[in-house]
Amino acid sequence: MAAQTGDAAAYRRLLTEASSWLKSYYSRRLPPSMVDDVAQEVLLSLHTKRHTYDPAKPFGPWLAAIARYKWIDRLRAMRDSATDELPEDLPARDHAEAVQSAHVLEALLARLKPAQANAIRLVKIEGLSIKEAAQRLDQTISLVKVNIHRGLRELSSLAQEEGYEA
Amino acid sequence: MRLDSLIEQLTEDLAPVRPRRLWLDGAIVALIAAVELALLFAIGFARLDMHRMMTQPTMSWRLGSFSLISVVSGWLAIRSFDPTYSVRGALRWLLLIIAICAVCGMFLSGAPAGVVSIISRLDWRSGVDCASKIVLLSVPPLVGLALLGRRGAPTDMRRTPLLVGVSAAAWGAFAFVFSCPFNDPLYIVVWYGIGCGLVTLVSRFVLPRFARW
Repeated sequence: MAAQTGDAAAYRRLLTEASSWLKSYYSRRLPPSMVDDVAQEVLLSLHTKRHTYDPAKPFGPWLAAIARYKWIDRLRAMRDSATDELPEDLPARDHAEAVQSAHVLEALLARLKPAQANAIRLVKIEGLSIKEAAQRLDQTISLVKVNIHRGLRELSSLAQEEGYEA
Repeated sequence: MRLDSLIEQLTEDLAPVRPRRLWLDGAIVALIAAVELALLFAIGFARLDMHRMMTQPTMSWRLGSFSLISVVSGWLAIRSFDPTYSVRGALRWLLLIIAICAVCGMFLSGAPAGVVSIISRLDWRSGVDCASKIVLLSVPPLVGLALLGRRGAPTDMRRTPLLVGVSAAAWGAFAFVFSCPFNDPLYIVVWYGIGCGLVTLVSRFVLPRFARW
């Protein structure tokens, strides 16, 4: 009702709450890549059709009806869009080696001390800076550096023991 | 992040709006229908023997049936422009009303004598003319309801156009009753039914493209 009378603060709050509800609604019904697009579409519809909301009735069913309508609309569009069958011999990169390396690395990391393994995971695999990793692990920067250095040395010797190339 | 910026944009664009009023939508459609009927009478569209015809039971049946169907379906159509309104149950009741009206007409008609009699009673040349006039007379309320539907937020794009089509078609048939030279209920059920069916079909397939939002 506040939105219909032009109360911007109330409207922003309403749209924010509606958007989080919409994300949750569509995340269970659509592929993740579409969730934001459809949620945006519903927010736009909610804006343009806000005069159709009857303030005497609850807001939830009104929003849910629009969300459902847009969901069905999107499903229909997905059904109608042309899809080509992929050929059997489609060239694609072979990820087997990368998957195997990740598996071996995880097995070796599991044999390190947790502090060393965590520091290596955050900085060398996830790409965090030393400072960010220190904050995340609740350690000093120098301790993180020491853990990474010792951990990598340990990893190297473990890899040699297992017969993996460095 | 994109959602946040959209929310900011929509908040900046916010302007007060007047909530939709059902009675106002109903009044607009009623006004369109009344103006159409007044214009038809003004140009001498009505039968010359209207006073005598008004005493005939088939005339009362036609006027009563089509006005009832038109008003009920028009009201349901206007309500269906609300996204939360469920059209399914409404459409069922409307079909029941239409069936009762048609059955009443068949009782007035009496049993047909044979196939030849039925064919002569149907008089297809006049029937096609009647059906096409009903289609033309349905256009003003159809356009009015379609514009209201576009302004509203219908969510059932299959059934809402049917309600709109039935309402406009029934109004077209109601207006045509004043000019129709035929009183045979069999003829009326068949040819009026074809005219109304055409309008409903057009509404069913055209309105979703026009009113989609």
